Amino acid sequence: MSDVLAVNAVDLTKTFGPLTAVDHISLQVAQGEVYGVLGPNGAGKTTLLRMLFGLIRPDGGTLELFGRSWPRNGVHALDGVAGFIESPKFYPGLSGRRNLQLLAGLDGLDGPSAATRVDEVLDAVDLLGRDRDKVRGYSFGMRQRLGVAAALLRAPRLLVLDEPANGLDPAGIRDMRALVKRLTGSGLTVLLSSHDMAEVEQICDDVTIMRTGQVVYHGSIAALREQAPAQAHRLATTDDERSMAAAHRMGLDVTGAADGGLAVRGSQAQVDALIAALVAAGIGLRGLALSETPLEALFFMLTESAPDAPTADLEPAATTGARR
Amino acid sequence: MTRASTGDLTAGPTTTAAGHGPRTGTRRPGTATVLRWEIAKLAAQSRARYLLLGCLLAPPVVVAVFAGQQPPSDTIYGRHIHASGFADALLILAFAHQWLFPLLAALVAGDIFANEDGHGTWKTILTRSVSRGQVFAAKTLTAVAFNLVVLVVLAASTIAGSLLIVGTQPLPGLSGQLIPAGTALPLVAAAWATAVPPLIGFTALALLLSVLSRNPTVGVATPVVLGFAMQLLSTLGGLDLARRLLLTTGFEAWHGLFTEHRFTGPIAQAAAVAAIWTAVCLVIGYLSLRRRDITGG
Repeated sequence: MSDVLAVNAVDLTKTFGPLTAVDHISLQVAQGEVYGVLGPNGAGKTTLLRMLFGLIRPDGGTLELFGRSWPRNGVHALDGVAGFIESPKFYPGLSGRRNLQLLAGLDGLDGPSAATRVDEVLDAVDLLGRDRDKVRGYSFGMRQRLGVAAALLRAPRLLVLDEPANGLDPAGIRDMRALVKRLTGSGLTVLLSSHDMAEVEQICDDVTIMRTGQVVYHGSIAALREQAPAQAHRLATTDDERSMAAAHRMGLDVTGAADGGLAVRGSQAQVDALIAALVAAGIGLRGLALSETPLEALFFMLTESAPDAPTADLEPAATTGARR
Repeated sequence: MTRASTGDLTAGPTTTAAGHGPRTGTRRPGTATVLRWEIAKLAAQSRARYLLLGCLLAPPVVVAVFAGQQPPSDTIYGRHIHASGFADALLILAFAHQWLFPLLAALVAGDIFANEDGHGTWKTILTRSVSRGQVFAAKTLTAVAFNLVVLVVLAASTIAGSLLIVGTQPLPGLSGQLIPAGTALPLVAAAWATAVPPLIGFTALALLLSVLSRNPTVGVATPVVLGFAMQLLSTLGGLDLARRLLLTTGFEAWHGLFTEHRFTGPIAQAAAVAAIWTAVCLVIGYLSLRRRDITGG
């Protein structure tokens, strides 16, 4: 595999009036990598991807895809690149197959090779049975899958997916994640944006976390996991005041939850010991549940803290990844 | 989803792209490919098919209705419609230029860019290896070609219907002379052909409004309203220069073909005016599309 980076963005900046949507972001994605761009809504993920596809122009910085850039190579910059931004859109009055046939024509495919290719990608996203239905009758999940099929038509080396599971029901999310995982298994480079830590954790090797246009973390998922806080539990008891005092005495991080009960953070052994102690003290246990995962907790810490809060305790990635 | 393998989907069949990038599975399309794509898209629109069908079927019906009524004697060639089928063809041409031509020009052209905004499909198109210039050229050529086909179908149907229903009697000229059928037919065809430059001008205007407004209703309706406004302006006195620069003036340039001493100066002038309108509208439209940030559609 070539050493040329699939994505090499340096100091990218984009402003819309007074709003700096992307603020001096650098991002490197190696070929074959499965890379996540994570952040809450409004973090600048979609703006970053729009610049990647040339839909909007950066106000500063440079961006190369497989060594090609928009200013130097024009639309050739997109050779080998496919994907969708936000939810994929199609002509609603045409069937899914007809939409793909039109796009195949745009990709320079025609005749039997186009028909074969359309069949292949429809099969890959499991839409062959509904391919002759008009797109206006498709569910949101079917449109998302048609979007992946449209991207695969181009036989991409880099697949860019912007929130592919956004708006899907649980079954749709499961299917979409399974599809993306299958695609990543083929050696394809994938750049996936999401606001869902669990999704990125399941699919990606490396991640950049953004907040208000800036990078607050970049590096591997494994490194991020090591720096995550302990698992959090939601605890409901007959006497939260005494329970909180007991948790403090046992060295657990405990706070009162906004909607009642306690949020307790600590190792599984510590939480087990706390529960045993509460029961022994005659305090009734009314509820115990896992709350956000450690990585989700870290994600919320990173993206909900004050904009100038230091993130120095998080280690940067060595060779690939993003930096501010 | 049940498929187990997608490995072959990322190993496409064709070319190596220029530069030092990867092998790609598809090749970058030329403008002809983008044009074929746009035409295929237009052909899939029932509206376009119905419009052509209407242009084919409506004129004979209109001529048949005229044949059973008192002639509209206050309109050019109105009083001759029972005397010669050629007069019917010219009367319909005169009616058409008042509002029908701007509307026909705008029905497809005013929508062709804006419907990508409406469907949110700009990003579907532009995330492939297609330049905005190619898309602009393909859409412009498609709209112009379609409108020329519409004009040809409308003209052919009108002339054929008029001659079949009313007859091929000699046509009274605007100077009172009689024009024999053998001469009248090419002159009537030429009169319809003089609508081509202003029709293209209105097409370019609709294309520009489609790009700028991103709204199909604005793209279709505004050229019709502007057409009416231009005609209103042309009736005002003391505006000779402005009148010459109006797109609608070109629709009347055929009158000189039917005088005893023919004059074609207005036709050449209308062609020049339409060329200026077309060039200005297309340049502004292209620059606007090229510089636009695709944030919504």
